[in-house]
Amino acid sequence: MTTSKTSGRETTGPVLQPADLREAHEALAGSVGQVHVRGGGTADGWADALRPAPVTVDTTRLTGILAYNPADMTVAVRAGTPLADLQRELAGNRQRVAFDAARVRRGATVGGLIATADSGPLALAYGSLRDLVIGATLVLADGTIARTGGHVIKNVAGYDLAKVTHGSYGALGLLAEVVLRLHPVPAASVTVRLPCSLAAAAERAAELASTSLEPVAVEWYGSGVTEGHLLVRLEGTAEGTEARARAVAELLGPGAFTVRGDEADAAWREHADLVDQTGNGAEAAVLRIGCRPSRLPGVLARIDPPGTGVTAGLLTGIATVTVPAEPAGVAVAHTAVTAAGGTSVLRHHPATAELPAWGQAPSAVAVLRALKKELDPDTRLAPGRFGAWFTGNTGGEGAR
Amino acid sequence: MLDAAVRRALADAVGAENVISDPVRLRTYECDGLTGFRQVPALVVLPRDAEAVAAAVRACHEHAVPFVARGAGTGLSGGAVPVADGVVISLQRLRRIVEIDPVDRRAVVQPGVTNLDITRAAAPYGLYYAPDPSSQQVCTIGGNVAENSGGAHCLKYGFTTNHVLALKVVLPDGSMVTLGGDTGEQLGPDLRGVFLGSEGTLGIACEITLRLLRAPETVRTLLADFPSVRAAGEVVSGIVGAGIVPAAVEMMDALAIEAAEKAVHAGYTLDTPAALVVELDGPAAECAEQFEQVKAICERHGCTRLHIASDSAERARIWKGRKAAFAAVGWISPDYIVQDGVVPRTRLAEVLDRIGEMGREAGLRVANVFHAGDGNLHPLVLFDDDAGEAERAEELSRSIAELCVELGGSLSGEHGIGTDKACSMPRMFGEVDLEVMGRLRSAFDPRQLCNPGKLLPTPRLCGERPGPYRPHPLEEAGVIERL
Ligand SMILES: Cc1cc2nc3c(=O)[nH]c(=O)nc-3n(C[C@H](O)[C@H](O)[C@H](O)COP(=O)(O)OP(=O)(O)OC[C@H]3O[C@@H](n4cnc5c(N)ncnc54)[C@H](O)[C@@H]3O)c2cc1C
Repeated sequence: MTTSKTSGRETTGPVLQPADLREAHEALAGSVGQVHVRGGGTADGWADALRPAPVTVDTTRLTGILAYNPADMTVAVRAGTPLADLQRELAGNRQRVAFDAARVRRGATVGGLIATADSGPLALAYGSLRDLVIGATLVLADGTIARTGGHVIKNVAGYDLAKVTHGSYGALGLLAEVVLRLHPVPAASVTVRLPCSLAAAAERAAELASTSLEPVAVEWYGSGVTEGHLLVRLEGTAEGTEARARAVAELLGPGAFTVRGDEADAAWREHADLVDQTGNGAEAAVLRIGCRPSRLPGVLARIDPPGTGVTAGLLTGIATVTVPAEPAGVAVAHTAVTAAGGTSVLRHHPATAELPAWGQAPSAVAVLRALKKELDPDTRLAPGRFGAWFTGNTGGEGAR
Repeated sequence: MLDAAVRRALADAVGAENVISDPVRLRTYECDGLTGFRQVPALVVLPRDAEAVAAAVRACHEHAVPFVARGAGTGLSGGAVPVADGVVISLQRLRRIVEIDPVDRRAVVQPGVTNLDITRAAAPYGLYYAPDPSSQQVCTIGGNVAENSGGAHCLKYGFTTNHVLALKVVLPDGSMVTLGGDTGEQLGPDLRGVFLGSEGTLGIACEITLRLLRAPETVRTLLADFPSVRAAGEVVSGIVGAGIVPAAVEMMDALAIEAAEKAVHAGYTLDTPAALVVELDGPAAECAEQFEQVKAICERHGCTRLHIASDSAERARIWKGRKAAFAAVGWISPDYIVQDGVVPRTRLAEVLDRIGEMGREAGLRVANVFHAGDGNLHPLVLFDDDAGEAERAEELSRSIAELCVELGGSLSGEHGIGTDKACSMPRMFGEVDLEVMGRLRSAFDPRQLCNPGKLLPTPRLCGERPGPYRPHPLEEAGVIERL
């Protein structure tokens, strides 16, 4: 195992870089004190700030494909593998992980993407990684190695422990190996684009949802909520996709036009740039929101982002919005989302500002606390990430 | 026996008129669809709303009485079998569809609603609920959640877990929480996901929020005969290899076809060694284009007859034959066991050959009906109880499930572990894996009152030393390792 002295942002001690399952086990079994698990570092500043810890387990050497049989459409990889690298391998067989979170392009690892419950526009058709992970090997805080799921897409044997790693920010265990379900790369992909306001886009999206045109992604992006673009992506066979794109353009009305290839990539890159804002400096924070799709425009209007980046999955209900990095404003945004029955969490935010990272804690926070105690009794992993969830005082308990 | 205080507490919780204690009526609840395991419960309660479920669970928790949730009792792994001196909490009276939201395309339902009734309620809006177990007319959505049930169309559309957004759950201590939320975006670890498929051991689902899908523009179905199971298997690989994701790909062998034809006369060819049902759905033009490709692949692999459903009535007839196959084996055998195992799709031909050999060795016939697209087998082991074949049949059936694990697959694709396969779990998972699963269970249910004795092997059920763990084939090949 490689050990480097270069400490991470909040780290004071050694950085352990296991290269396989055995070394991952040794890294946790052989160290003492609290631990940061770090993948590509693309979500370092998300959620609540980590408290300093003496040990960092860095998964950037825990890479590589373990088993890939294209005919079964499953792949087993080490969890530190950057998803973009994996996608390149799979593309050779015209297959893919049907997942496109914005930060994949910055080198996000498979394990990191699972741990942060991230998702991209394709979630409309394929869900998030919780829908695509079919097996996993975890290393618990004391080095215990536990396997869950398997190598087949259909499997209900035993508890699906991989699910609790989804969204766990490394607080319940280290994901060492992951088995993923794959999908074919479609023969054609066409995007229809319409410059319009968020409100207009939401109306069109609702109409689209009542047709059988089967878009795989429907996203609006813009500055503030008045000016922006609606993007609708269609995938399938060459002829069929073109025909549906024409129908979508007609439905969207005057001003809508079709883009393909590099032009389409550029449009989606603009969208991803707003989801994945990292260079906002000290003034801005990025909030991730989920709520019933029909309520999303109202919630975003209430937050009223002052001419900053907004992306809205109009049929998934998942949005990203950049807000000023000051506590009162962020609290108001959380409240607006909670009032609509939704969920919210901060992504990138300046380390210096004391901002409320999480919206209302889930009502089952007591179960999470019990689970933390079972899997990480000495609270070694990811100290601080969930604020006070694991220590009490969240106000989220009881019936909702 | 339950003491009087417990009985009183439960009657207070749900109302005395909703308690069953008459021994004859209790007998109705002694087993689920896997009738080999039986246990008459001490008491059955039929709460009328979620609050009453919570009150009943609280009463059980306070008095340390084990309880088992029950939907329609169609489970095939003994998951809803009562516990001795325990209480059955039936969800049959929570059958309200709380909301169908055509705009956000979702349904909020109580757990006792049947799977098919959800689609019926959504149909006027052009929507439907995708997972479609063959038992969908009777099984409850609560049971589907507990088993993470699948169906013929899950290859393209996913399993129950891919369609549940949120669950209101009564935890084993009687408190009520919501798991999941209004979107796929979730805060913190996915407890919703771990509850799905937990077989009634982590709590009782009392309200379920589901995604509804827009009905596809077209559906096209064909029935094709092949000279061998191997040829049919190659067609499945061919379709998948062409980048086509069919809505369903089902296979039946000669024995299963014989049974289905005797029962429902669905127009399958007798004596063909294998038949495939392939269904494509989606936008009309694309469906038509891919359907031609599928036909060409069938022909390339020596298809001996290809029948295309010309209308929805014909399609229904094809599906009737397929869906009747389980029960239909009653026409060709006095008794049978339905097995459920999974292999990687590329090993279908191999596993079927091995099953054939094992059947011949045991002197028993095995009919095969299965979800070929995802490698989910349902071998039907035929036997005659009166001829003393039951034990041999069970042995054969268990060996088949364990063979699936040996080939890199799973003990169960959709019917669950329950009572039936708990003792086989050590074939698929190591001791430590199972111990960690036990810790997860304890986080939800520290007192082990919620459907105890199911899913994980226990010494009482399996003896002190359950069967040995066998390494995964990838482990043996040195691809993955266990420490
Ligand atoms: C003819 C036939 C065909 C079948 N076909 C299929 C198929 O195609 N695909 C498939 O997946 N299955 C199939 N099954 C199996 C069975 O129908 C499913 O497992 C179904 O989901 C069980 O639902 P149920 O309401 O009958 O549950 P039950 O049998 O009553 O209970 C099953 C389990 O769920 C738990 N449970 C029930 N309700 C709740 C609740 N509200 N909260 C928590 N736990 C609960 C019980 O404790 C038990 O462990 C078939 C069964 C039959 C008899």
